[in-house]
Amino acid sequence: MKRGSRPTLKSSLFSYLPAIAVLAIAIWFGRSRSGPDLVPVLHDIFPGASRFEQSEGIYAAYSNDNALLGWAATGSGSGFGGPMVVLVGLDTTGSVVGGRVVDQRETPLFFRMVRAPSFFTENAGTHFTEINYDYSEIVGVTGATMSSEAIVSGVRDAVTSVAGPRFNVHLPQPEKPFEFGILELVILLLFVTAVATRRFRGRSADLIRWSSQVTGLIVIGFWKNSPITVAKITALMSGYFPDIRSNLALYLLIGGFLSTALIVGRSIYCTHVCPFGAIQQLINLIGGKQIKFPQWASRLMIGTRDVIVFSVIIAALAMAQPALASYEPFAALFALKGTVLQWFLLFIVMVASLFIHRPWCNYFCPVRSCDRVVKDLRKRVTDPVELQNAEFD
Amino acid sequence: MDFFNSGFFWFIEGILFCVVVIGVKTWAVDRSIPMPYWKWLALSAWILLFGFTVAFIGTSLGENEPTAAVKGGILFGIIVIISGAGLWRLITSGSEKSEEGIETDPEEQPL
Repeated sequence: MKRGSRPTLKSSLFSYLPAIAVLAIAIWFGRSRSGPDLVPVLHDIFPGASRFEQSEGIYAAYSNDNALLGWAATGSGSGFGGPMVVLVGLDTTGSVVGGRVVDQRETPLFFRMVRAPSFFTENAGTHFTEINYDYSEIVGVTGATMSSEAIVSGVRDAVTSVAGPRFNVHLPQPEKPFEFGILELVILLLFVTAVATRRFRGRSADLIRWSSQVTGLIVIGFWKNSPITVAKITALMSGYFPDIRSNLALYLLIGGFLSTALIVGRSIYCTHVCPFGAIQQLINLIGGKQIKFPQWASRLMIGTRDVIVFSVIIAALAMAQPALASYEPFAALFALKGTVLQWFLLFIVMVASLFIHRPWCNYFCPVRSCDRVVKDLRKRVTDPVELQNAEFD
Repeated sequence: MDFFNSGFFWFIEGILFCVVVIGVKTWAVDRSIPMPYWKWLALSAWILLFGFTVAFIGTSLGENEPTAAVKGGILFGIIVIISGAGLWRLITSGSEKSEEGIETDPEEQPL
């Protein structure tokens, strides 16, 4: 672009092209990943089998003397970071022989706490019409409900695909109602209240903001442990959209975050809803100090954060493992579960919050990076000229 | 690591408790900081919390549970530091003008 010429929306958007291209390549690379090798798992489930024949997605297991041992099929359920694929084997009478999770994209820490093997051992020998699909039996920790539900859904899916063609039994599919509970209601109320009162100033604005933050901290944080994470954003970017009926809260949070940033032009999620932002602000109130960094240092730290977030998203997309991108210490605080790195990060952020205003939000948070991109796009749409001298909001 | 499970460890904790209380009393008198009973109660509670945190880390290490020591130490350490900062402001509130933090919207930060 020539110096002094007026940048158009089109030319402004061109500056995002390299980033979009890298994202597209990472998504393509992740999707081209080959599926899991099922043969070793099939041998594990049918130890006496010498060969397997696949037909219409069902694997038939045969012994050395060509006797049919049973069938196995894969099924999938909606996990936290993507589809959870389960392989289930049934013998010729319809009893469960065994099963394994063959592909999953969950947060490793949480997946380890799901008692998946016990589900298969407890149901081994059970006829497929009598399988106990109660996922609460295998939830090992708060926050792993989605993973547990995905395993059970995968098993149901796999069993259904064998039961119809091989046993001529059509299993009824459970009706999935919309899950609209306190969490969803609170998220809606927080966004609506924040938008409706956005022009308030002074004490009333402070009161509303504090009430919203404390509510978010209790409900979205400590009770439900459901803040927006980079893993959820990455999962959506990779094209994985979990069932809205059981993940309404996720869509409300992401939808509320994006729509308010785009339409209202404010980070309402960050200021009124985010539980981690709320706790930093509360700690800062206790500390009563606010160190202000020089502008160059702020710019450097924000730039570093954006580079880290972009790299993490690219790596997670390329590996098709959105959950690996999750470096936030939210689970350490809200569910008391985290890696050693997340615990140390939590310690640093909590202590720094005593004398720095929202250190995580300003210098580490991936949602803030996404928010910056959304607001930057909004500025380019509404006033591309103004943007020239306003790289940092 | 046997030290953390020994009576000597608790003996040292008790001595430290006394030293801190005497130190705070002298410090408060020197600076003419009023120390009503509720400030002493809050301080005692904090010292107990601090002692509990040290004991938690120590006994976890003594029982060969380094992960519990790290995680518990970080969690209780955060609580100790934050409550310590709050207690500091509370205790010194009578001696100098309180500096209230300025609440700002992150968007209003001069980034």
